[in-house]
Amino acid sequence: MSRILALAEKELLQIRRDHVLPRLIVLLPSLMLFLFGYAINFTLKNIPVAVHDAAQDRISKTLLWELTKEGTFRLALQAQSREEVVAALDRGRARVGLVVPAGALERVRRGESVGLEIYVDGTDPNFAFQAQAALRRVIQEVNARILVGRALAGERVLPPLSPEIHTLYNPENKTAWFMIPGILGLVLTAFTVLLTALAIVREAESRMMESLLASPLRPYEMVLGKVLPNLFIAFGVALLVLALGHFVFGVPVRGSLSLLLLAMFLFVLVAMFLFVLGSLAAGVLISTVARTQVQAVFGTYAYVLPTIVLSGFVFPIEGMPRLFQALSYLVPARYLIEVLRGVMLKGVGLQVVWPHLLALALFSALVLLLASARFQRQVAV
Amino acid sequence: MDRVSLEVRPGEVFGLLGPNGAGKTTLVRILSGVLRPDEGRALVAGLDVGREPYRVKALIGYATQEQSLYRDLSVEENLLFRARLHRPKEAKILAAEALARFGLAPYAKTLAGHLSGGWRQRLALAQAVVHRPQVLFLDEPTTGLDPLSRRGIWGLIHQEAARGAAVLVTTHYMDEAERCHRLALLFAGRVLAVGTPQELKALARERARFLFAPGFALEAATSLPGVLEAWPSGEGVRLIARKDFQMGVGFQEVEPSLEDVFALLTKEAL
Repeated sequence: MSRILALAEKELLQIRRDHVLPRLIVLLPSLMLFLFGYAINFTLKNIPVAVHDAAQDRISKTLLWELTKEGTFRLALQAQSREEVVAALDRGRARVGLVVPAGALERVRRGESVGLEIYVDGTDPNFAFQAQAALRRVIQEVNARILVGRALAGERVLPPLSPEIHTLYNPENKTAWFMIPGILGLVLTAFTVLLTALAIVREAESRMMESLLASPLRPYEMVLGKVLPNLFIAFGVALLVLALGHFVFGVPVRGSLSLLLLAMFLFVLVAMFLFVLGSLAAGVLISTVARTQVQAVFGTYAYVLPTIVLSGFVFPIEGMPRLFQALSYLVPARYLIEVLRGVMLKGVGLQVVWPHLLALALFSALVLLLASARFQRQVAV
Repeated sequence: MDRVSLEVRPGEVFGLLGPNGAGKTTLVRILSGVLRPDEGRALVAGLDVGREPYRVKALIGYATQEQSLYRDLSVEENLLFRARLHRPKEAKILAAEALARFGLAPYAKTLAGHLSGGWRQRLALAQAVVHRPQVLFLDEPTTGLDPLSRRGIWGLIHQEAARGAAVLVTTHYMDEAERCHRLALLFAGRVLAVGTPQELKALARERARFLFAPGFALEAATSLPGVLEAWPSGEGVRLIARKDFQMGVGFQEVEPSLEDVFALLTKEAL
């Protein structure tokens, strides 16, 4: 125990004495949070629309008013022809085009259907999908108003299907709400990997590995002494991101905070040991001292990239091919992000998230075991 | 390593002399429990290194060939860290004592990375002995140091032996080997000879003649019958020759150096 403490205190002293690292520890997660939180935004806003209004009547006016009233769409161009509308999309001046045919009001009065021509920029499928959904919502609204108008005129008319859609957990579709739990998972992954890699490189650069191996320090003491200080730092970083997410981006924490913290703690543990294992497997000890820096950098990439893709951080796991869905179970960040989203946005409790926590705990245990065994073998070489 | 058997006594500085690649570092790594031998066993202070590595590791001090110290920690912090790994309760006292013993006290607060090469080596040595080990392994402790620093380091090595430690030091400097109480000549993983410097020289004198031929050409010397080894030296040629070699005119018998002994023994071994 005293040996673990000696090593852990030495680690903290070295981190504190580092010129860059302490600043990086605070700045990097904040930067990531603000970049991802503000720059990546899937919430549609201010979509430029080119309109050719050949009708110029009450129907088209109502349609345009409904279209622009919530700020999702804005009128970018009053076109004189359908060709001009399409050209505006070609040139990128508008991302949605709308053509209202002449005589719309008359057709409605005669009880006929008005054919609207709508063009959507489909280069980004995600955008196209959301824009179509928003357009349908608007048109549905106008339809309802038209029907209600006829009802007021004495006819007994109701829309055949009137959907009432409840968007749960994130009713305003704020991307930041969806992203921040993911960013938290990502920041933790990147940080644990970075810190552990640096901790190992530090020994290699100091040429201390052999001396430590010849000291009474046991392999598990070595692993714990290296990991514990970084564990607490990573945990502090997680708290920072959580606080920023909550107070700056307004992400709610609907569930139990302690459950959230427990999940993060287990996650950090897993990520750390996973990387220690990876580094040891790559042969960080004496024989490969000279290569550790490069290994550390590549190790970081090798670990963080699959995490970004497979953790469900941005890309929905349900949409992946079977193989990748299966692989995603091997990415501990996946469980953390599920727990974070569940607890923060849905406000669910232990009875819902326990399988994810269990998975994280199993990961920790397994990886700790492997890391120590791996270490023992390395020492024996 | 091939059947190496050595005995180092308390209070003795025992030199392991051999060229690069002879197996000096490998031997030290096995003895300190860093490497496991393919077969056979190593005993340190009566303990089997393979069976009880941590009891052995608690007893030994090991200064690796590459200076192992944290450049971003101060001299004192480095010593304290190593002391805590061995004897946490007395660590502070031990570190302070090592600072004094190795003349490092004025640099206590200096970062190890800011020390000059000689002082860094002093610190590396101090770290290896901060816990007052009974057995001390030093792997080429003076490589790359200037003569003055080397003398300083050797003074400290003898100081540790005087304290009662058994010191095993590896070197490929022949002049340093002279400073050891006893020596083993290591070549290609085998021990060629063991003894005090005087014993080794006497052994060599029994087996060969060591000569100096002033004004002689190297080619002429090499072609003489019975010459084992010849190399230019100053104004003439140095020779190692068989015992029955017929000395030419002007040849002088010289006292063999350890280098001569080493040259003879490796020649015989090949």
